[in-house]
Amino acid sequence: MRISAVVPIYNEAESLRPLTAELTQALESMGVPYEILFVDDCSTDGSLRIMLELRKQNPHVRIVRFRRNFGQTAALAAGFDHARGEIVATLDGDLQNDPADIPALVAELEKGFDIVAGWRKVREDAFLLRRLPSIVANKLIALYTGVPIHDTGCTLKVFRAKVVRSMALYSDQHRFLPVMYASTGARVTEKVVNHRARRFGHSKYGLSRATRVLLDLLTIKLIAQFSQRPLHYFGLLALTFFVFAAFFGFVGLIGVEGAAKGDLSPLVSINEWELPTVSIVIVLITLVVFFVLLGLLGELAVKASGMHRRGTLDRILNELHA
Amino acid sequence: MTTTEHTTQGLTESGGDASHDLVPEELGLAERAAGEWLDVTIIVPVQSPEAEVREVARAIGGELDREGRSWEIIFVFDGVEGRALEEVQLLRAERGSQVKSIVFKSPFGESVCLTAAFERASGRYVLTSPQYVQIDPLEVGPMLAALDGGNGRPGADFVIPWRSPRVDPVLNRAQSVFFNWVIRQIIRGQFHDLNCYFRAMKREVLEDISIYGDMYRFLPVMAFRQGFTVVEVKVRHLKEWGKAGFFGLGVYLRRFLDIMGVMFLTKFTLKPLRFFGTLGGIFAAVGSLICMHMAVQKYFYDGQIAGRPMLLLGVLLIVLGVQVIGFGLVGEIIIFSQAKNLKEYRIERIYE
Repeated sequence: MRISAVVPIYNEAESLRPLTAELTQALESMGVPYEILFVDDCSTDGSLRIMLELRKQNPHVRIVRFRRNFGQTAALAAGFDHARGEIVATLDGDLQNDPADIPALVAELEKGFDIVAGWRKVREDAFLLRRLPSIVANKLIALYTGVPIHDTGCTLKVFRAKVVRSMALYSDQHRFLPVMYASTGARVTEKVVNHRARRFGHSKYGLSRATRVLLDLLTIKLIAQFSQRPLHYFGLLALTFFVFAAFFGFVGLIGVEGAAKGDLSPLVSINEWELPTVSIVIVLITLVVFFVLLGLLGELAVKASGMHRRGTLDRILNELHA
Repeated sequence: MTTTEHTTQGLTESGGDASHDLVPEELGLAERAAGEWLDVTIIVPVQSPEAEVREVARAIGGELDREGRSWEIIFVFDGVEGRALEEVQLLRAERGSQVKSIVFKSPFGESVCLTAAFERASGRYVLTSPQYVQIDPLEVGPMLAALDGGNGRPGADFVIPWRSPRVDPVLNRAQSVFFNWVIRQIIRGQFHDLNCYFRAMKREVLEDISIYGDMYRFLPVMAFRQGFTVVEVKVRHLKEWGKAGFFGLGVYLRRFLDIMGVMFLTKFTLKPLRFFGTLGGIFAAVGSLICMHMAVQKYFYDGQIAGRPMLLLGVLLIVLGVQVIGFGLVGEIIIFSQAKNLKEYRIERIYE
């Protein structure tokens, strides 16, 4: 099996037939063995019945049905776990992604990449509620993690199955997949894809995700870059607070006026700034100690789990790109 | 010590004649042929030597016989022996393999009892019962019917009773009503009677949820939060064991902590930073506001802030917030390092 198209489905009864037709057309045109893997996130609108009909008509269709609703990340994780293809293409079930883009994305992947992310350069969504938050979030992600991906939220992506199975996928991480893998050494690129207006159903997202995305960002940075050495992450935090502590300590000793003028003469005398700044210094030093200890705790957790996942990913990547 | 260690170390199979007594461990659930499934497994944790084991078996078993459902009953002796155990031995002599027993040498609590019994249960439905005939056995029929579903409606996954009217003392009833009201407010579920252990559930529920500690009480809440359908059925209350009076502050505190634990585990297990981050963010934001207020006082109104406890409070709140966020980050590390073992989804079926 060469290609698996993984499609998470949650109440997409109307889109399913056109989607399958388009997918079949796109994948047939590539002339390689393929499958279409629907992951039914416990739809309640009869999507399963339609999928079963489609499966009867089309032997390439497989269906994984969840016992109850687990969300999109879980659906993608199940898709990755059960896909049989060497290449996994993921796309939304709502027809907003164009299956006709898959051959081009796969061609890009075959140039020697591990992940090709779709980039919806022209989006057919409301500006204020959908596009603006997405632009801001993507800018933040790119800035903070140093991985310049324009559109992490686009589900249309193509992966090498071996690479994507080397890390567990949980929580809401699916949107950060390219970022996570890029920072572990996988070759990640992006390609402009078509984006279409929603034809059926309604969006399952809202704006309430803002704080979650911010918190997830902290997590992704920690996991992607420091999961092997949590102490480094917490050490950096501790160092930051130590710098603050040193600054306040300095101010406390000579006073703000003195510090501004570079006048060290108040060093020996008690000044009005001493009391508040000393308490701030004490508190900051507590934080420094606290973060170092948390970092050690993190190291313990990593060691106790016997996790050498980064190592496996390295090996896979070496084999692929040897 | 973990729950599983308890069950393996602490239990002996009573009677010594284990061959027909227990389902062989190596016979996994998946391999068990369809014909070997029973309809209902009744699980009864026994915590008193005076337990009405014979009456429970006769009441529920008789009702199931009348409904034409096959059943077995598993008594779990939670560190007790005495008359009840002798009764069960007699019952086993009469009924054979329909009656099973597990004996713990010391008490481990209802959660462990249920887990140990479930490992040996071969019923498609699991019915838990207290050690005395608490509920009118006639209610078994409607409760199992709710699991069956029918009339085009899918069956529920979990059926809990709602004792109405209750026959225990007014004081106990009032406390129980209050407790259930608090829980309803916290979880936004519709449970009126979590304290009654006469419950019926599909075995998928127990396969999915691992219970420990005092979670036995909150099993319906866990099931509800994990997306199983939980329905209430009004039942006739026959009698209540236990003494009248106030439950005591310790009991309330333990239950409150339990419900907090349930909330946290069902919502935030895989995303600890969402919880700790929000909490820490709130602390830090309040602290920052206070500190800003102090700064304005200092620079624009020339106030003296050095000795004011308000400044200390602000600074401490910021520190507290940052520390709480730090906890969340360590939580994320722990979850990530264990993520390979945590499967977030459960598959109902794969259509190849």
